[in-house]
Amino acid sequence: MGAILAVFDYTLREHVRRRAWLSTALFGLVLIAGGLVTSVLAADQRARMMLDLGLAAIEAIGLVTAVFLTVGLVLSEIESRAVFLILTHPVPRWQYLFGRWLGTLAAVALGMAGMALLHLALLAALGWSAGGYGLAWSCSLGSVAMMSALSLLLSLALTSEAAAMAFAGFFWLLGHFTAEMSFVADRSGSPFLRGLILVFARAAPDFARLDYRDALHGGAAGGAWAAWAAVYALAYCAACLALAVQLFEQKEF
Amino acid sequence: MNALSLRGVRKVYRRSHLGRVTETVGLDALDVEVRRGEVFGLLGLNGSGKTTTIKLVMGLHLPTDGAVEVLGRPVPDVEVLARIGYTPESAYLNRALTGRENLRLFAALSRVPARGRETRVAEMLERVGLSRAMDKRLSEYSKGMLQRASLAQALIHDPELVILDEPVTGLDPLAIKEVRTLILWLKERGKTVLFSSHDISEVERVCDRIGILSAGRLAKTMTQDEWRGRPDALEDAFAASVARTDGVGEIKL
Amino acid sequence: MRTTAPLAAFVLAAGIALAAGGRLASLSPRLPPLSDLPDTPYIGQDAALAAAGFRAAAADVAWIQLLEYAAGGLPRWPNPPGRPYAHAEALSRRVVRLDPYFHGAYLYGAGLLGWFGAEKHPDQAVALLQEGLRRDPGQRLYSLYIVALAYQKKGDVSREIAILESALDDPRTPTLMKEILANLFKSRREYAKALALWRAILDDPAQASQHSRARGQIREITALERAAASPAGRRQ
Repeated sequence: MGAILAVFDYTLREHVRRRAWLSTALFGLVLIAGGLVTSVLAADQRARMMLDLGLAAIEAIGLVTAVFLTVGLVLSEIESRAVFLILTHPVPRWQYLFGRWLGTLAAVALGMAGMALLHLALLAALGWSAGGYGLAWSCSLGSVAMMSALSLLLSLALTSEAAAMAFAGFFWLLGHFTAEMSFVADRSGSPFLRGLILVFARAAPDFARLDYRDALHGGAAGGAWAAWAAVYALAYCAACLALAVQLFEQKEF
Repeated sequence: MNALSLRGVRKVYRRSHLGRVTETVGLDALDVEVRRGEVFGLLGLNGSGKTTTIKLVMGLHLPTDGAVEVLGRPVPDVEVLARIGYTPESAYLNRALTGRENLRLFAALSRVPARGRETRVAEMLERVGLSRAMDKRLSEYSKGMLQRASLAQALIHDPELVILDEPVTGLDPLAIKEVRTLILWLKERGKTVLFSSHDISEVERVCDRIGILSAGRLAKTMTQDEWRGRPDALEDAFAASVARTDGVGEIKL
Repeated sequence: MRTTAPLAAFVLAAGIALAAGGRLASLSPRLPPLSDLPDTPYIGQDAALAAAGFRAAAADVAWIQLLEYAAGGLPRWPNPPGRPYAHAEALSRRVVRLDPYFHGAYLYGAGLLGWFGAEKHPDQAVALLQEGLRRDPGQRLYSLYIVALAYQKKGDVSREIAILESALDDPRTPTLMKEILANLFKSRREYAKALALWRAILDDPAQASQHSRARGQIREITALERAAASPAGRRQ
């Protein structure tokens, strides 16, 4: 636990020092300002548009930042050989990997929380008072966590930041079509094709199901949905991290 | 009692490119023993297997064949790393952190108790002469300062076995003298020191025993008695034992 | 390989993820498939945004395009000659099929189809509101507007107005419906009621885009009111 905390701490400091959050915050400000301008055009739906565009921007920026940071998280330390020194201390490899991932997620979550505070202040100024924001933001964070765990796994499997980023983008897109993929698989005549589609549908993070932003106006989420969403996101992250650890354990430096 | 022993160790690197597999033998049937409390020098040309030997000891590489035992435990073993201090050939430290933060990180990773950790960090920075630069980021450090910081992280947890990989390469004469003094200080305190070098004059000044590596094999071992008071004895033995493996021919005059 | 523990952890976590994913799928709200989107030139834009996971935002963009259409037309999708609001139904349905919980879009679309302009389409307006009711049966305004449209078809303007007036206390009543009601009052020479509605719009800072129109209407209706109050007007 001490090693995880130590790795978490230096990873978070590293990201903060390298100003990963600054570009995120600035980009968020620009987008939210853009949302404000657009919302002037929206007549009665000004608060709704501000809510949707702000939440979408927070998630999009969070996702892009998380993928950029995680694909190079371990590879850059392997390249700079900083990992040599860490692993020659009594640190189990899984603890190193978990601490790195958690530190990065915390850095991204801090950026997202900053944007959310700003966003909520703007919404309050527009008179928006409906609930569900916290859950929608948490679901976005869940998506970001899943993408970052997947990106970490891909970076270790492919050992190339560019390839990992491309594959992460591919899985991110697939993640919005999991229901459609299952539908296509059910109608596929070939058992091989059916199996292949289902493997991709299950391997991709199911963002469509985890998305509360798009269902926020319906107020559809219940406690059971939120609980299962949390279990799903945590288990998906754990599965990706476990595979990443398996790959990392076999690496020689 | 041995601090370290390698028995019949073979390390083969396999590289696969476009389906073609090439194998390189890094170490071949290597037998080395380092006794507790002694300063042992691994002497060899570039590519002779010095760093590979150290990486096997530190668990960064796995042997293809043979057994490695450190402080009475077979490696890889995360637990035994808590009793070893290691300085790689370059200071692979995190440049985004300050000297103090780096040392704090390695103290935590080496399980230095939280209580008294700060004092230990400050003491160690003082010992390596970095107390005035401790709050500067490592990106602002000179090469010599980085080397000192690297030494400090190796010694922060008061290890039983200290492994120094090429500790004097690239240092100025004053710094070399300081490293020499440090090794002798460690010996006085009963520590076991293993260090690798291709600098014969340094090795003969501080080592109790040396092992000459050539083409991944232990070509010769010598004790201090065999070279002390006999100028050129070590150099002659070295020249007679090693064969170039780096594809470079002799200079012809 | 050093250990098989990570593989065991993977199998366990993947099993939990699959089970939780299945449970989540059964609990998640079902959104209309993208194949239900009406055929418009914007289908690529909608599909791209929805595929990227920004369906509510796609509905917002579609909403702005619907407002733009109502305010004067979309350059990319011009109306056929002589049919000024020919695409109103498709553009309204586009918004609510991207986000079936976009209540304002059902109400605005129904107002546009049922009461706006010279060519009215009450049946299309009713169909749109019924689609909204199927999704969210508790929406009182949908039912009220359906009843108002039924009175409109029967030519019972008094009852139609009474129903629309009763909806005014609901904060979700779109400004468009307030304007429509103000115009109905104006056409029935109930100038005080029409003026009250336009003044309410003028006082609402959220309706800044309608303030200029409200000022114009207030000037015009005040003049009409004065004229009606004059002896000549009273004789009429």
